[in-house]
Amino acid sequence: MQVALKIWRFDAEKGERALREYEIDAPEEATLLDCLDIVKDRLDGTLAYRKSCRMMICGSCGMRMDGAAVLACQVRMHDVAQAGHVPVISAMGNLPIVKDLVVDMAPFWGKIRAVTPWLEPGFSDPGEQEHVVSQPQMNAIHKESLCIMCGCCVSECNSMEADPDFLGPAALAKGMRFVGDARDQATVERLQAYSEPHGIWDCTRCYFCNERCPKGVDPRDAIAKLGAEAMKEGIDSDMGAKHAKWFVTSAKTTGWLRETELVPKTQGIVKSLKEVKFAMGLLRHGKVPPPFPPHVAEHVGEARALYDLVQHEGEDGYDGIVQLEHALGRLEHEDGHGEAAERGPYGEGSFPKPYLPGEESSDGGGSE
Amino acid sequence: MRTVAYYKGCLASLSAKELDISTQALAPKVGLELIELEAVTCCGAGDIHEAEPDYYLHLNARILAYAEETGADTLMTVCNVCTLNLRQANHALQGDPALLERVNRNLTKVGVPAYSGGVEVMHFLWLVAAGEGYELLKGAAHRGLKGLKIAPFYGCQILRPSKLLGFEDPDRPSSLERIIEACGGEAIDYPAKIKCCGFPIIQAREETALAELIQPIEQAKEAGADAMVTPCPLCHLSLDAWQSKLKAQTGKDFQLPILHLSQLVGVAAGLADSELKFKRHVVSVAPVTDKLAV
Repeated sequence: MQVALKIWRFDAEKGERALREYEIDAPEEATLLDCLDIVKDRLDGTLAYRKSCRMMICGSCGMRMDGAAVLACQVRMHDVAQAGHVPVISAMGNLPIVKDLVVDMAPFWGKIRAVTPWLEPGFSDPGEQEHVVSQPQMNAIHKESLCIMCGCCVSECNSMEADPDFLGPAALAKGMRFVGDARDQATVERLQAYSEPHGIWDCTRCYFCNERCPKGVDPRDAIAKLGAEAMKEGIDSDMGAKHAKWFVTSAKTTGWLRETELVPKTQGIVKSLKEVKFAMGLLRHGKVPPPFPPHVAEHVGEARALYDLVQHEGEDGYDGIVQLEHALGRLEHEDGHGEAAERGPYGEGSFPKPYLPGEESSDGGGSE
Repeated sequence: MRTVAYYKGCLASLSAKELDISTQALAPKVGLELIELEAVTCCGAGDIHEAEPDYYLHLNARILAYAEETGADTLMTVCNVCTLNLRQANHALQGDPALLERVNRNLTKVGVPAYSGGVEVMHFLWLVAAGEGYELLKGAAHRGLKGLKIAPFYGCQILRPSKLLGFEDPDRPSSLERIIEACGGEAIDYPAKIKCCGFPIIQAREETALAELIQPIEQAKEAGADAMVTPCPLCHLSLDAWQSKLKAQTGKDFQLPILHLSQLVGVAAGLADSELKFKRHVVSVAPVTDKLAV
């Protein structure tokens, strides 16, 4: 088949960028990585990109296709070529470009190192026996353990774009992999460290990381698990944690968010006093609902009673989020009708879907 | 008429009342009969999911149970964050009988009807961007938008994670564009339309949030937008109310009017001033109303 690609070339020494178009003849089963190999082999030996395993294990070939981070070895090009679409290939985002499609991973590795990505088992000697970890205990960190550190999640992280010091989805998911490990003895120290500025509470919940991860790690969910566990351990002095706690207080007192009190409860009285002028501007347009009389939901006593009940259920901290994954995991592997879908990693349903112009993909109906 | 249970969520009850008022006024024109849920609480907005995940699950199960009790098969939301939180809880309960049983045991203990898993959570956008709702919308929007240039802003949690939302391609969505054009407006395109507005961290990390917020506003202005439309009241609040902070920080006074989806369709469908409530916006909507001579 004939495959055409536009590739953003970049020469760091000269600082020059150029969008070049290439057209090749490739086998029908060719992936994007295969196509790049053919370009390099036959048309332009100076094209630079990373690769190694060619089977979604090594995490080397992360790059963007039509603006979305993918593993080049994951994306089959057949449908794209058939549609006559010429995809734009570029380097991943949020990392400095070295040459063409190669990014400097040093900032990425620095953040991975910053979360202490190794087990801290203490010095307990199991004697003649082993440290036994049960299957449910391992299940709690199954998803986080799947990370191949390709950087696709980091590429499109909206918080990191705005704050390059943000630890980011890959490093924090790695952190959860150890916080949730039954053998680790440094959980509290880890949670304290991850709760510092540029950590857990800097995630903007854009969910690009979950969307881009080729391995199903769902880093945003890992970050939520860290938040839940930190709060369970009483590590809750960050404004982000206080913000989250106010929603709980609101739900069990009035049912609805006590919106006007959210600012002082999050930021503290002193800092929120600086917001008075801003708040007055909002007040003129009814954007500051008066806290009195409170807006109370009907039968709010039920919500209060539920709060008391769940305190005894033992599903607190990250366990409370892990329990949701039993059902949600099926979304990855089954179609909406509960039957195992014939859905290989490269076929229909692989993500991101190649962009096929003119295809009506959005006439709706939901995922059910 | 399609009868749906209506969950308006916190903001439409409080600081974004204009969203609730315009939605209720517009609904019959697009074939929706709304049964408003009264005995429900906040969905937790992602915050209770993080602070007390099991409580989050129970609160959302309670909302779903009361929606099911109305006899409707659809729970309609008007907020991205409510949509994701409710759909996530719903999927977890529908797909895990043991979990559903445990939660139902607790619900019934406190007097809430048990939930059988028979409700689908749908955002208002999805109900009017496809099928019969879309056909009715085209007829209802008779007054048109006179070619106004409208920037669609989706917000995150109506697109991602797509395995939970799944209405449309999360990278190349087109529902808002289709609605803008059906209403007689011109949809403009810009890269940040699927990115984050920064709202979830706007109080805890304002600097980071503002660096996110400026992108869609600046890009939409550069692309010539007269106004922006969003299906999420949280996006609306940051895009509308925090524009003044962008001005203080960058010196740029964008003055970009931000419309709720129900207001955009509503103004094209000829809703009255008292139903649109544009005076509740911080950034003046005059550029829109002047052009349409509302």
